[in-house]
Amino acid sequence: MLSIENLSVVIRRPGRQVAALNDITFAVRPGEVVGLVGESGGGKSMVARAIVGLLPDGSHATGRVVFDDADVLGMDEVALAAHRGRGVAICFQNPRGALSPTRTVGRQLVDRLVTHQNMPVDRAREAARELFEAVGIRSPQRRLDAYPHELSGGMAQRVMISLATGCAPGLLIADEPTTGLDVTLTREILRQFRHAADTDGRGVLLISHDLASIAEVCDRVVVLYAGTVVESGPAAQVLREPAHPYTRALLRSVPDVGGRPVVATAGAMPLLTRAPQNCPFVARCGHADDTCAARRPTTEPLAGGPDGWSLACFHPQAGPIGAEPEPVRAIPAADPAVGPQAKSTVLEIDDAHVVYRSRFGSGGHHALRGVSLRVAAGETLGVVGESGCGKSTLAKLVMGLVSPTSGAVTVAGHSLVRQPGRAHLRGRALRQARTRAQLVFQDPIGSLSPRRTVADSIAEPLRAAGLSAAERAARVAAVLDRMELDRSILQRYPHELSGGQAQRVGIARALVGEPDLIVFDEPTSALDVTVQAQILTVISEVTADKDRAAVFISHDLATVRGFADRVVVLYLGRIVEEGPVDVVFDHPRHPYTMALLASAPRLGGGTGAGGDAVELVKDLEEADATTGCPLAARCPFVTDTCRTQQQHLQPYGASRAACWRAPELAALTGKQATTP
Amino acid sequence: MADLRTAGPAGATDQGVAADAGGTRDGRFARVLITTGAAILTVVVVAAVFAPLLSSWGETVIDPASTLAAPGGGHLLGTDGNGMDIWSRVLYAARLDLGIAVAAVALAVVAGTLLGLVAGYRGGWLDDVLMRVVDIFQAFPTFILALAVAALLGNGTLNLVLTIAAVNAPAYARLVRAEVRTLRELPFVDAAVTSGASTAGILWRHLLPNSLTPVRVIAPLNCGWAMLTLAGLSFLGLGVSIPAAEWGAMISLGAADVVGGRWWTSVPPGLALLVCVLGFSLLGEGLQERADAKRR
Repeated sequence: MLSIENLSVVIRRPGRQVAALNDITFAVRPGEVVGLVGESGGGKSMVARAIVGLLPDGSHATGRVVFDDADVLGMDEVALAAHRGRGVAICFQNPRGALSPTRTVGRQLVDRLVTHQNMPVDRAREAARELFEAVGIRSPQRRLDAYPHELSGGMAQRVMISLATGCAPGLLIADEPTTGLDVTLTREILRQFRHAADTDGRGVLLISHDLASIAEVCDRVVVLYAGTVVESGPAAQVLREPAHPYTRALLRSVPDVGGRPVVATAGAMPLLTRAPQNCPFVARCGHADDTCAARRPTTEPLAGGPDGWSLACFHPQAGPIGAEPEPVRAIPAADPAVGPQAKSTVLEIDDAHVVYRSRFGSGGHHALRGVSLRVAAGETLGVVGESGCGKSTLAKLVMGLVSPTSGAVTVAGHSLVRQPGRAHLRGRALRQARTRAQLVFQDPIGSLSPRRTVADSIAEPLRAAGLSAAERAARVAAVLDRMELDRSILQRYPHELSGGQAQRVGIARALVGEPDLIVFDEPTSALDVTVQAQILTVISEVTADKDRAAVFISHDLATVRGFADRVVVLYLGRIVEEGPVDVVFDHPRHPYTMALLASAPRLGGGTGAGGDAVELVKDLEEADATTGCPLAARCPFVTDTCRTQQQHLQPYGASRAACWRAPELAALTGKQATTP
Repeated sequence: MADLRTAGPAGATDQGVAADAGGTRDGRFARVLITTGAAILTVVVVAAVFAPLLSSWGETVIDPASTLAAPGGGHLLGTDGNGMDIWSRVLYAARLDLGIAVAAVALAVVAGTLLGLVAGYRGGWLDDVLMRVVDIFQAFPTFILALAVAALLGNGTLNLVLTIAAVNAPAYARLVRAEVRTLRELPFVDAAVTSGASTAGILWRHLLPNSLTPVRVIAPLNCGWAMLTLAGLSFLGLGVSIPAAEWGAMISLGAADVVGGRWWTSVPPGLALLVCVLGFSLLGEGLQERADAKRR
């Protein structure tokens, strides 16, 4: 159906030239889901643009993009419009941004059906309802009249899929469709694409940076690096035993819930100005030799591999990843021997509630509902949960950026904000106390003052301590070496930094004042995969420090497993389970934890627990937690007790969980998700 | 389905590639505007500074032999009803006009920015009170307000600066407050708070430099408007008074003579005012254009 042959795209602009795609060849057949993976800048989006005939100004394309026997590159505007209407449809990364905000989603879908399918309006409305049902939208009639801002991210993405499939296109392209969605939703959305391929015989091209998460629904994957196809083949085999060193590096960069260590690959993807004469991965590859530096490998079928598995490499690797020693550094696993009892408590939260009151009228958002926890020096606490569960509020609470509505928060013996019935610091004493806890932000560039140099930003905590300019410069230089950053970065501004550099600067700022506690709020979620691995290596060194406590907040269970000594699972502002990280991950007690683990992708074997996985029955937004257990509306094990009464955290062995049915769950789920 | 409209945003996800597509052309346009505006203003400043060298008569020297003399002869642009040389006075007037306008805008920027910073960052009742005061100021047409304030303060150069600063400051307060309200929600402000920065430090080192971009664009335009306000006040007799040279006052003085066909009394100062305001406008537009091009 779609066949791309030797496609090269060069973008010429005054003063610069970018070789965006170099000799790309692959095909998508009807009923097939093909995954296009690679880091940002690798050319994934450019391929999508070439397929819909939307290459940017100044680009020169050679080769062929054949769709249903016609070359898209040679089409005129009229032919392109028809091609885009019926041939190819795209789902975008940011579904809410792609939907018109002032019209109901039903209206938008109906309009489209009327325009492109020539349906009468009442028939189109009926068809729209069916489409909503087909993509798993519950109560579709009601959703038709919803505006985009009333939909959750997952729901909006479903609407986008229904819009895309509505005109029965032959090929569906999804550009990072699950970025920003939670693990449970990601899985559900990806299944919708598989469904579209299976039931309607469409071809689907899934674009993603995360090989592990999309591999489950893909038939084949194509791996892009610096605008070249480095490896392509059957998804399951490529995922299990990737042959190209880059594919292996990509997979090793991603933490795994099973506890496999993350291995960072140094360096960054080159920005090519002309078609490469050698292997583009040569500078970062552990297996590279003189041949790789001198010649560009051609794409050859893998010897002994199944049909359609080919790669461009002089040194194909074999075997599952992680089996062989690699010439790169690994993150050491967290040391479980550290006893929290022995050390002093750095952070203590006691029954904290946070309610954001709306400015107008009554009501408000109850973000945290009675959270208690403590973290000792040398300990790392992991905090996991879906978006909206109160993770970020917890971070702000710890940092003294929001006050608890009730309850108490103590950081290194001080109260940072006005709290009911407690003394609180002011002036210089408060400013110094604040620097005892430091936050590493999710958005690395946004957390740096745009018009301040890197040197200024890093030195900020030292100002509060009253250090002289010379002392500040010395401390900044020392921490810069620790972050492996070059001195030349000091005079730069945030917009001149890459995401990875900016996050290193953020960590440097957090470290420079030698705080007692560092909070990492999703520190890698805005970064590219191999950069993530590099940053995680840095963080693991930071958290290994025995004098310091750390809180690591993430929606990604696998990442938390790599660092944390203990883990806390948050759901709708409550702690539903807590305990030592290995115990919670290997023997989860709460259905919510089980569901989270089940939907986390695992390398070489689908997702978490296979057939016995616990699945939540509804999306988060449809669950209302008025009385009883907050999970009651979504839990498959729900009883009447759950609906009416809230269970508190109860000890089960080394961990604690808040679930009425925890004692019997192991029997209910048959064999439990045990060792990886 | 994937018609042109929906397919469009695909470009937005493709970082960098489309970012500077239109930038170069707009950038060049901005440069032309800025250069032209700056060149005009340079000429005006040179005229003001070297007025004694460029003119043969003084600012207030009366030539009793020739009143209302036509251009040519001993007087390049003729003389006014008092026998003062128009060319000389147009040049000298640039000192007062430019000086008062720039000083007044500078004062308005400083005062307005300070108010805006504090109101925007603190919020709450302080913000409410300050912004209602700003509302009151902005509820009147600028010129009417200027008339009232000028009448209240009385004549004099300093009072004119204060008057014009007072009517312009509220706009800056509102502008900076809006910027600060957006900026203070960004993570870098939280980062500064958790790094133990004092409130003054956050305002001065983090919020101020980041909120000045629109001020930089508006201020030159505002200088042009300030000049018009000053000329207007002087024209009505509330500003600079004769014999000091000021374009508005000169136009006012010559207005009666223009009716009698003696155009040279009012047209030269009018043209000078026009050129000067044009210079500021071009500069302001250029800066605006450049800021837009950068944002894209």
